[in-house]
Amino acid sequence: MTDTLPAAAAAYEKADQLPDDVRAPLRDLVLALADSKRVLGLRYSDRMLGSPTLEAGIAASSMAQDEWGHARLTYALLGDFGDDPKALEHERAAAEYRSIGVLDAGLEGWNGMIAASLLVDMALTGQYAALVDSRYVPLRNRVQKLLDEEKFHFQYAAGWTRRIAAVSELRAGLAAELRRFLPQALRWLGRDEAPGMRRLVEEGIVRDLPSARRGRYLARVGAVLEETGLAGEVGLARDGEGWRYDGELDWAGWDDATRRAGGSLDEATAARARGDLNRALLMD
Amino acid sequence: MKEPVYEVFARKSREEPLRHIGWVNATDGDLARVYAWKTYDEQNWSEMCVIPRAAIIPVDPGESQFVTAARDDHEDEIVHSQGTGSYGGGDVAGKEGR
Repeated sequence: MTDTLPAAAAAYEKADQLPDDVRAPLRDLVLALADSKRVLGLRYSDRMLGSPTLEAGIAASSMAQDEWGHARLTYALLGDFGDDPKALEHERAAAEYRSIGVLDAGLEGWNGMIAASLLVDMALTGQYAALVDSRYVPLRNRVQKLLDEEKFHFQYAAGWTRRIAAVSELRAGLAAELRRFLPQALRWLGRDEAPGMRRLVEEGIVRDLPSARRGRYLARVGAVLEETGLAGEVGLARDGEGWRYDGELDWAGWDDATRRAGGSLDEATAARARGDLNRALLMD
Repeated sequence: MKEPVYEVFARKSREEPLRHIGWVNATDGDLARVYAWKTYDEQNWSEMCVIPRAAIIPVDPGESQFVTAARDDHEDEIVHSQGTGSYGGGDVAGKEGR
């Protein structure tokens, strides 16, 4: 072990120090994360009233606020890339959002809320976790607090998955939502062969390739689904030391930059994400 | 299905004793931790704990806010606190179920 890092591992303090073929995919990644956090928070907020228990609603409300806080933190990073974070947050049309496609529609009841918190929230968390030791310092400095908060989101999701799975008349509904979310969450983690992602890994901006993230993600959510007897129902099986998803990931139309395969957020949801109703009250 | 009560204790610094700040209903300890953290977040706590009310043994049951009268159906676990200062539950007396 040496006391000094080799030159190739020096930290990047500013985005303009990044090679061009790294800066562009990193901006893409940060924007996809910010937009997904913003829309996930909106979807959570739709479920915080009418939750099964008062405590669950309070926690869902807090989680929605967490997600919006994470989104704001992530949008703010893009100022270093020459973007205007305020414009990104408040002035884009629905078609410009790069949020994960499975959240284009609202969450179906409490089953949808829990499936999203277990499978979508944890996919986003897995991507952030791959940035915790990034050579791009502004990103690295912001990720740990976010990950600390996400520990509670995981406990919430796991606890409610256990709770619903134990109720025979609700179990099938949860399994259906989990089956719907899982392949889209797995796909959102991206392709190993994406040139931009490969450069991000080579430069030490992102820890490892998407297949490794998928493996860690499956280990985390697979343990919860196995414990509740739902793993087989959603197409997950243990495979040696890891997990295997037996379904197909549909890459048709997939765009590595936007992490979407067509479609769009609707304008009404985008208007809420932008804060159109309170636009006149926006503060500098 | 009725949920057990978890009492919530917290302190702001290591030098302070833990103090009782409220309670939550939760199906298990993991959810109780989340609910406690998300519900009692108005202070910058350095430590927070949840304890199943059923695990608390009052020395003087007649004076304890944690008193849980034993019943055959084990519903003692869902009895609310008296005057614990929890959200909306501070004035709930005795054995009111939720």
